[in-house]
Amino acid sequence: MRETIQIIDAQTGAPVDAEIFDEVALPHFIETQAEWRPVILAAARALSQQPNQGLLIPRHFHWDWTRKEAELKLLAVKFYGLAHAGKLQGIMKVETVAHSCRLPEQQGKPLVYIDYIESAPWNIKKLMGALGQPQRFRAVGTRLFEAAVLQSQEEGFRGRLGLHSLPGSEGFYINESGMTPVGRDPHKENLLWCEFTREQAEKYLAGE
Amino acid sequence: MKFNKDRNWLTKRAEQEDRHFISVGGLISRIDPEWQADVSSVPNVEATKTAFVRLLQLARRERRLSLEQLAQKSDVDLGELVKIESDESFKPTPRTIHQLAEFLKLPAKKLMALAGLLKIKDFGLQQASVRFAARSEPVEDVSPEEHAAFEEYVKFLNEQ
Repeated sequence: MRETIQIIDAQTGAPVDAEIFDEVALPHFIETQAEWRPVILAAARALSQQPNQGLLIPRHFHWDWTRKEAELKLLAVKFYGLAHAGKLQGIMKVETVAHSCRLPEQQGKPLVYIDYIESAPWNIKKLMGALGQPQRFRAVGTRLFEAAVLQSQEEGFRGRLGLHSLPGSEGFYINESGMTPVGRDPHKENLLWCEFTREQAEKYLAGE
Repeated sequence: MKFNKDRNWLTKRAEQEDRHFISVGGLISRIDPEWQADVSSVPNVEATKTAFVRLLQLARRERRLSLEQLAQKSDVDLGELVKIESDESFKPTPRTIHQLAEFLKLPAKKLMALAGLLKIKDFGLQQASVRFAARSEPVEDVSPEEHAAFEEYVKFLNEQ
């Protein structure tokens, strides 16, 4: 799968073409490790020095991406990449076997689980703000999230989607995207399990 | 996939995303000092980069290819290839190394390590790279000694 979609140039505010694809390969992983990591580290340091800013570090900051190569061959795992002019701007990993629905009305049914979703650090407004640098692109995470919802619809999961939100992301998934906060997961560092039903997924895609 | 093409939808979603982080999955309690070191430290970087450039030059000359022909056959940017061979401080893109590894039938991870894109943890690879860099010279014709060194190094890279 490789499709042209639009994201927003943060400096001009104009939509620009980008590509979203699922043929993610080792070079993409290396690119995230070699080019994203130094920027993330610098931003994390800057953020940790700001007052009232409890630093919560996402687990994937620590991933050795070269070891993720084996997962590219797993049928139940899919990696999506989003690139502009050949440069990787975001990446997402979804799984379709390891988790199932927890909401009472759809409990136990299979779903698409987002295990990892991230925009390149130069596209994250809060990180660039901490570094005093301009944001490059907007809506990269939005497009990846949209791809996960569409995958759920197209592969027979009817829009059912789940994820463990980090504390700093709960507002995005619950208030902005309309997911249901089901409960804290004691087996997952007490992170909040959020879930989409079919109807919620349809509303999200329609912009309601 | 039917992505939403409405500009207002995209703008609204972008505004929402900008107000938050979007991370999922799990937390770690601190940034590991070793992880921080990984960012910049590549041991013996000069020797391995030299080995990488010489390996590329010799592999090309063994096949009697010009830079332009190698760029075409391996589907990489000619300008980048020129910079790789002429400027050892130049950092190639992961895609280029991946393409070159496929064309030269070498392990991509090791080639990326030699090119300075990954940390080299394998002491044997470091040592072999230093030896190879010392035994090869960037001259026009491949000498029998260089040919032997090249063959030995390629064998080492593929064996481990």
